[in-house]
Amino acid sequence: MTAAPASTPAQGSPLLLTLLQARTYLALILVFGFFAFMAPNFLSVANSVIVAKHAALTAFLAIGMTFVIITGGIDLSVGSTVGLCAMVSGWLILYGIDLGAMGTMQFNTLEIALLVMCVGVFVGFVNGILITKLNVAPFIATLGTLYIARGAALLSSGGRTFPNLSGNADYGSASFPGIGAGTFLGLPVQIWMLIAVGLVAAYIAKRTPLGRHIYAVGGNERGAALSGVKVNRVKLFVYMFSGFCAAIVGLIIASQLQAAHPATGETFELNAIAAAVLGGTSLSGGRGKIGGTIVGAFVISILSDGLVMMSVSSFWQTVIKGLVIVAAVVIDQAQSKLQARVALQQEAALGR
Amino acid sequence: MNVKRRLLVSAMAVAMAGVMPSFAAAADTIAIITPSHDNPFFKAEADGAAAKAKELGYDTMVLVHDDDANKQSELFDSAIAAGVKAIVLDNAGADATVAAVQKAKDAGIPSFLIDREITASGIAVSQIVSNNYQGAQLGGEEFVKLMGEKGDYAELLGKESDTNAGIRSQGYHDIIDQYPDLKLVASQTANWSQTEAYTVMESMLQAHPEIKGVISGNDTMAMGAWAALEAAGRTDVVVVGFDGSNDVRDSIKKGGIKATVLQPAYAQAQMAVEQADKFLKTGSTGVEEKQLMDCALINADNAAKLETFALSN
Repeated sequence: MTAAPASTPAQGSPLLLTLLQARTYLALILVFGFFAFMAPNFLSVANSVIVAKHAALTAFLAIGMTFVIITGGIDLSVGSTVGLCAMVSGWLILYGIDLGAMGTMQFNTLEIALLVMCVGVFVGFVNGILITKLNVAPFIATLGTLYIARGAALLSSGGRTFPNLSGNADYGSASFPGIGAGTFLGLPVQIWMLIAVGLVAAYIAKRTPLGRHIYAVGGNERGAALSGVKVNRVKLFVYMFSGFCAAIVGLIIASQLQAAHPATGETFELNAIAAAVLGGTSLSGGRGKIGGTIVGAFVISILSDGLVMMSVSSFWQTVIKGLVIVAAVVIDQAQSKLQARVALQQEAALGR
Repeated sequence: MNVKRRLLVSAMAVAMAGVMPSFAAAADTIAIITPSHDNPFFKAEADGAAAKAKELGYDTMVLVHDDDANKQSELFDSAIAAGVKAIVLDNAGADATVAAVQKAKDAGIPSFLIDREITASGIAVSQIVSNNYQGAQLGGEEFVKLMGEKGDYAELLGKESDTNAGIRSQGYHDIIDQYPDLKLVASQTANWSQTEAYTVMESMLQAHPEIKGVISGNDTMAMGAWAALEAAGRTDVVVVGFDGSNDVRDSIKKGGIKATVLQPAYAQAQMAVEQADKFLKTGSTGVEEKQLMDCALINADNAAKLETFALSN
């Protein structure tokens, strides 16, 4: 190990590397600064809260997606799961569960939320079983559940919207609109939920054996299995967690709109993947951070809200979003190349 | 340099204004929110509204919700935060839009709805819609005449979540069903989409090769159906659409699609902006919340006078 690349200047590279590693945060500061100057009212407190609320929806999905991607998988079904979960919450509020002879069972807000989360986790469970027990490639398995969940959402109402989900005081579900519209200590409920889910996810990733196993499975699945990691259980967990995150988003949207439309959440999975990638998650697995992903979600959301406030044509918005994602991946590649080179140089320096 | 400094000053003003959204907007702004402009109908709405708003001295903020109620809700948030004075909206779902319009009302911003109604009244200031029922009856009558009052036909329905899809179908049937020799053999939704209508039409032709006519809930689906019919060599089939787009106009002029019903999108959007202007200046529009605008039949006789959803005299 003595052959250091001759043409590289040894100085400067570490600094560049630090810059590249912090790129998500730099991007955040950049877009924030840009719109603060260019878009009217962008900096107002009211608008900042709104941007955070919009970012939260992407961030939930992206947190679940990050775990999945770290294990080397992908979850395309989250957008449809959002739609299905929105429809289930609409159904539960309007009709409850019909028990036939025993009459109809009605639920309060908390029970509805828990049931809906079970639905999301169940979709994730199906994904997990398909991938671990039946050996279906994650891309195909979740593509299948994408269609199944969307179809189920459409079937639940015959394609119609469930209207007027303001809840029913008699059943204790009148607080349902509060999930999406309520505030606690001045901040919207959904931001508190994001803080909670974000902290739990970050804790799992950093401080628990489960978290280390998730990274191990993505880094080298066979090696992890040989050293005693229960690979299938880890994979099952990440897909169920992703389904859980999707259920939260479904609940929030149904509550915000006070209506559930079966097409809710179309293409959300792509935003979630984009946020994870922007946040430095590697699609080949083994690398990614929850914090980075949340910042990535904020970059996307600030970008789209800011462009809306500048009233940029929606067609251009789409192009710009694509450019940002491509740039993120290009920089990611540059970083890993540079990292490898710096590591090589250090090794070479030590060797001499 | 000058521009830069002005930008800096205004940005600082924005920053200092903080939570007072109304302070920073220079000229009064009207937000115009429609479905995606890839459908020329909605482009015409946005253009009509924007042109009228400029004429009346307003800035405009033209936004697109892609028929996604969640995105629409986010656009409302942004428009409210940007301190617009009024919102002109072609909405993304009759039920799912109520909460967003209510949100604007709570923030003191009046909404003026065009093209599609919402299921609540008293929240928006105006709801101006085309008289879809009257228009569908016009289309139905023309369809009956073109079919010679007999034969098998198919129907392409719009998106089921959209009230207009149901109203138009009702209007068609209230006329067509009076003729027992006209038989509906297939009825399918193609979700307002040209590609879906193409594939649905292909399958329908396989199942029912004997059909003589297709009545479609809108023009894009009529175009899709016509393309499929043309590919199958069935240019004898009578197709009637709804909307009055330039594409269908050209097809009518060439003898392809036989007729359509014009929704005055451009004029309707302009009317909404005029009412918004009046409401902002006097506190009232002087008219009822729900207003209907009549539609007009377009066939080979008057197709040449049609241009971007406006009929010249």
